[in-house]
Amino acid sequence: MSAVATDRGAFPRVRQVWRYRELLRGLVVRNLKVKYQRSLLGFVWTLVNPLLTVAILVVVFSHVVRIQVPNYWAFLLSGYFVWNFTLQTLSTGTWIFAEHSRLTRSVAFPSELLVFSAAGSRLIEFLAEIAIILGLLIVLHHHGVPSSYALVPVLIVLQVVLAVGLALPIATLSVFYYDIHHALPIALTSLFYLSPVFYPASMVPVEMQPFYFLNPFAGLLTLYHEVVYAGHWPEASLLAGTAAAAALVWVIGYAVFHSYAASFAEIV
Amino acid sequence: MSEPAPVIELRDVSKRFYFYEHRTRSLREWFIRRVLRRPLHVRRAAFSLRDLSLRVAPGEAVALLGPNGSGKSTVLRLVGGIYRPTSGTIVTRGRITAVIELGAGFHPELTGAENIRLYAAVLGLTRRELAAHYDDIVEFAGMGDSLDTPLKYYSSGMEARLAFAVAVCLDPAILLLDEVLAVGDAEFRARCLARLRSFRDRGGALMLVSHELDQVRAVCTRGVWLDHGRVVLDGDIEQVLAAYAAAGALEPV
Repeated sequence: MSAVATDRGAFPRVRQVWRYRELLRGLVVRNLKVKYQRSLLGFVWTLVNPLLTVAILVVVFSHVVRIQVPNYWAFLLSGYFVWNFTLQTLSTGTWIFAEHSRLTRSVAFPSELLVFSAAGSRLIEFLAEIAIILGLLIVLHHHGVPSSYALVPVLIVLQVVLAVGLALPIATLSVFYYDIHHALPIALTSLFYLSPVFYPASMVPVEMQPFYFLNPFAGLLTLYHEVVYAGHWPEASLLAGTAAAAALVWVIGYAVFHSYAASFAEIV
Repeated sequence: MSEPAPVIELRDVSKRFYFYEHRTRSLREWFIRRVLRRPLHVRRAAFSLRDLSLRVAPGEAVALLGPNGSGKSTVLRLVGGIYRPTSGTIVTRGRITAVIELGAGFHPELTGAENIRLYAAVLGLTRRELAAHYDDIVEFAGMGDSLDTPLKYYSSGMEARLAFAVAVCLDPAILLLDEVLAVGDAEFRARCLARLRSFRDRGGALMLVSHELDQVRAVCTRGVWLDHGRVVLDGDIEQVLAAYAAAGALEPV
């Protein structure tokens, strides 16, 4: 028995998402199948674009503007694809509900699954990318397997929570304000420079650091630099702080989404 | 005499929609209107349904009748959980399959078989539940070999058949159909009607909107005539159709 009037709050929502888990799997598989049209070579193309950007950044920041980081290419690889994952997950959010308007108007399903599925299919690509990167760094940079690599799955979880927590409100606002997709690239470009993607956070002046680390991506990318590039165990406070920030972003993002989700069917 | 417990129950349900003369659709405009202290939206509220109460028992097949804009589709969307009521309560028992748009969620690049799986997932089935109905769907759609072909090569008739087969074979407790009966050729339509009758006779609750009155007669046991969001007449299908025709609301059939 289900009563519409009582179907509110967090727990019924979690139950409903769980009930539709098959749809999440189906959408992720569909996204990947449609993208790659059943050819594995397609993945090469997914890699080429970010690798070109990485190559350009390596040339610029190790030969022109010289950032003093040994094996700069390894440093850049350890964070760039995390940024790329975030960028693409957030950009997808701006059109995801519009693209699935037929679905939202005619079927009662938890619509956050659309955002989850966009992040999910990107996650599968990211897992392949990070595996290649970890392998490269083991062979060419660390000459061994650093024990800190055990922490990579935890970082991936934080990364997904953070990206989905931001993508949900962005997708929600895009339903009501079509110019979000004009504003988002500007915001993301600013965030790119304000996050330690191509430079280490340690280069930020010490007195600025407390403000700098208010950006959760500063914490996340620094963790990746510590764990993947430096091969160190990060400070527990950095890990805990970033986890708390990711959880906070998720809770706020979900709340924004949830307060509007019921009216999507009448608007998209 | 005790009636069986209803599977669909609407109590004093109202649904308000807004009609916009002006709607702020961009952040840029939002800022400008805030600065100038102008209202964000200029809109007029109108009730699509007003204090509607309706109970549907298992084994009942209800046809919603009424002119365009009388609230028929709104009732289906409310029962299906797609819209939330503005006031009143809706209680349903058992799984609902709502077919408001045939094949919503179909993707042209996926094969027929893959689309069956995706559409079933859209309708809320787990993999195990689908497995129990899969062969039935394939047989009912009657298109054996083309199931491995991407949907983009299907004719629109074949696509509609596939979607309809998924919808009627999933065996929900409540089936909602919004003007989706007119699919396929005569033979397929006859099988659809037979299927809906057996669904009804096995205790399923059916609620549909259709302008094909022959089909309504062939399947439905009860008619609910709506006008401007209120029930005009609720009763035996033949009586309601006759009264509806007598009121000049439709051509005599």
